[in-house]
Amino acid sequence: MAVTPVSISKAVRAGDLEQYVMLTTIEKAMAWTSSNSIWPAGFGLACCAIEMMSLPSPRYDIARFGSEVFRSSPRQADLMIVSGRVSHKMAPPLRQVYDQMLLPKWVMAMGACSSSGGMFANYAILQGVDKIVPVDVHVPGCPPRPEAVVDGLLLIQKKIRAGVPPAYELEKSKA
Amino acid sequence: MSTTERQSAPVVPLWTPAVIPDGAPSKIDPPEGEDLITVNFGPNHPSTHGVLRLIVTLDGEVVVGLDADIGYVHTGFEKNFEQKTYWKGIPYSPRMDYLAFFANELAYVGAVEKLIEIEVPERAQWIRTLFAELNRIHSHLIFLGTSGVELGAISLFFYCLRERDTVLDLFEMVTGVRMHDRYPQFGGVAEDLPKGFYAEAKKFVNEMPQRIDEYLDLVAGNAVWEDRYRGIGVIDADTAIAMGLSGPNLRASGVPYDLRRAQPYLAYDKLEFDVITSDRGDAYERLMCRTREMYESVRIIDQCLEGMPSGPVMADDRKYVLPPRHELHTSMESLIHHFKLVTEGFRVKPAQIYYPVESPRGEFGCYLVSDGGTKPWRTHFRAPSFVSLQSTAMMAVNRYVADLIVVVASLDGVMGEADR
Amino acid sequence: MNAEELAAAVEGAVPGAVQAQEDGIDMPTLTIAREHLVDVCRLLRDSHGKNFLSAVSAVDFLGYGDEVAGYFGTESGRDINRTGSWGTPETVAAPAKRFAVVYHLAHVGDGPPERVRLQVLVDDGEAVPTVVPVWPTADWHEREQFDLMGIVFDGHPNLRRLIMPSDWDGHPLRKDYPIGGEPVQFTDAV
Repeated sequence: MAVTPVSISKAVRAGDLEQYVMLTTIEKAMAWTSSNSIWPAGFGLACCAIEMMSLPSPRYDIARFGSEVFRSSPRQADLMIVSGRVSHKMAPPLRQVYDQMLLPKWVMAMGACSSSGGMFANYAILQGVDKIVPVDVHVPGCPPRPEAVVDGLLLIQKKIRAGVPPAYELEKSKA
Repeated sequence: MSTTERQSAPVVPLWTPAVIPDGAPSKIDPPEGEDLITVNFGPNHPSTHGVLRLIVTLDGEVVVGLDADIGYVHTGFEKNFEQKTYWKGIPYSPRMDYLAFFANELAYVGAVEKLIEIEVPERAQWIRTLFAELNRIHSHLIFLGTSGVELGAISLFFYCLRERDTVLDLFEMVTGVRMHDRYPQFGGVAEDLPKGFYAEAKKFVNEMPQRIDEYLDLVAGNAVWEDRYRGIGVIDADTAIAMGLSGPNLRASGVPYDLRRAQPYLAYDKLEFDVITSDRGDAYERLMCRTREMYESVRIIDQCLEGMPSGPVMADDRKYVLPPRHELHTSMESLIHHFKLVTEGFRVKPAQIYYPVESPRGEFGCYLVSDGGTKPWRTHFRAPSFVSLQSTAMMAVNRYVADLIVVVASLDGVMGEADR
Repeated sequence: MNAEELAAAVEGAVPGAVQAQEDGIDMPTLTIAREHLVDVCRLLRDSHGKNFLSAVSAVDFLGYGDEVAGYFGTESGRDINRTGSWGTPETVAAPAKRFAVVYHLAHVGDGPPERVRLQVLVDDGEAVPTVVPVWPTADWHEREQFDLMGIVFDGHPNLRRLIMPSDWDGHPLRKDYPIGGEPVQFTDAV
């Protein structure tokens, strides 16, 4: 079937332009795409890791929010979900994995233990993972329900879309 | 030297039983040689067994040296227990083995109950048995799912998680939380079963055997699965006992030792179930033992639902048990009891006790030393994963690196309880 | 077999080994002299069928039976076991030495486990012979007690830290080691 070329000025009237073209800034477009494809690097440590494992499960599917896969390699991941208690022995590997992630990167402290040491106020546990990495979202709970973690993920998405820089940039600007 | 001339280390054939090495039983020192690479597995690696670090020396693809480094999730549980009164220690107990949380709680609560010599009502025992078996199913489901993930057979994981959510729904219906309920309390359980529980649990019991058949359909008889699992990590009965293995790890090697039968606790002596054993002792049999145990657990849950006695779910001894909340508004003695129990706690006579339970991983024991005061003097938990991880080196040596993953997966270790 | 019979059998084969015996709440408990430990273990494994070592635990009795049970002179300033800690109304006798190393044995096979507990009393600095030649599973158990309690096991093939980082100072589960963590307002409450 032959297509007769039609001049644009005839086909599209000025008032119809909004239906065909979206105008935005590059920042907003990038924020929209990156917020909808945050791939977690599950840093599963303890009990919270089990609830984190149920995030890709059929019921609480986070793939529908764009977090399609849990990337084992930190080089390919965007979000580090610190799920579980961080012992002093584990802190250097955790920082090393965080450093290996490429920018931009976000950190979610899932559960009470990674947010503040939880119920373990003792010699063995780091009292809050924000002592060694900048944290974007803390999700309370022991362990938090998968819906709560999804809520944390959506908060990060909102944060990205609102143009708030990730936590490491805020720390830099503070220093 | 050209690469075609160099031979890598010899690989032991399949079905070779593991041999306890000379020197340290849990470590294999690599031989001298050039071209040996030392690789670090972990502590952060995709196999979801938690934070285990294996220092592996490889000759090509063959493991010639192995040392396990644990302690990356050491939480100081035992020190924390000494800080808290007995009642306040209950929320700490499930967080050790976070997959079999109910078994942990039963061990701690059971140990203290024996020391204070309190009589637990029968209904509470049956409810605890029911939940212990539900927890066993939960733990074995995750074991099965993660075994699949480690081999790359990820579909199995999603099937198992679907059932796991149903099990956790049952927990949530009764206790209010999915994991880490502080449901066993000294003298019974915290609350009675709600009205809709029987129907939901019965539905679960009726459909679960078909689901287990579905999982077996996926993997048993699958040529790739069998090739990966059969003949790997063989351990015979005497070596297993000498290395302290228990639970399905031991039963797959032919020793019919199950604490639910050998040293019955809760309501197990009134229930009918089979102890699943096998005599080949390899990774495949350990996996099948656990899967078949799920059928037996469903049987036990069914018997618990049908034969549940009626009655109170909490002992009546106000010196150890909190009074029901509605009494606090009317009775002065209840208020004082409540106050004393929550702030000071009850005193336990000076003694020591070792109370083991059959956790899904094996014998989980609570060793408790009391000094007559309100806080434990020393608690030490015998974690089956801690013990079974010692056997990794001897099972994995002189086989391929891919088989190392299978060995670690088949031992079903949870680092939370190994490190405590 | 109750504690008396077991003690008699052990004493008959290894004279001078048994220092005390007791029928505990759950299993017979024998206190064994340090130098005879390995012989007693071998006897129990070979002649009495205790082929399974469940656990090796160490207990620190520093301050046992004092009026206020707690941690002593800690530097951290967070001695949270002191305020509101209620000790025993009457004193209990502390054992003769500071540490007890406790072995839980069982028979795995047919029938009930018939558990037995052995304890060895040592002071700080005294070494306990290793039972790894008798039950290889004791390897990590003894390493863990060395790491957390500081008990040295003589003859252990691989005695180094297992749970704490290898450069850690001190033995955390001892009673004179502070609980650690950070000071938090109102945490002194029980």
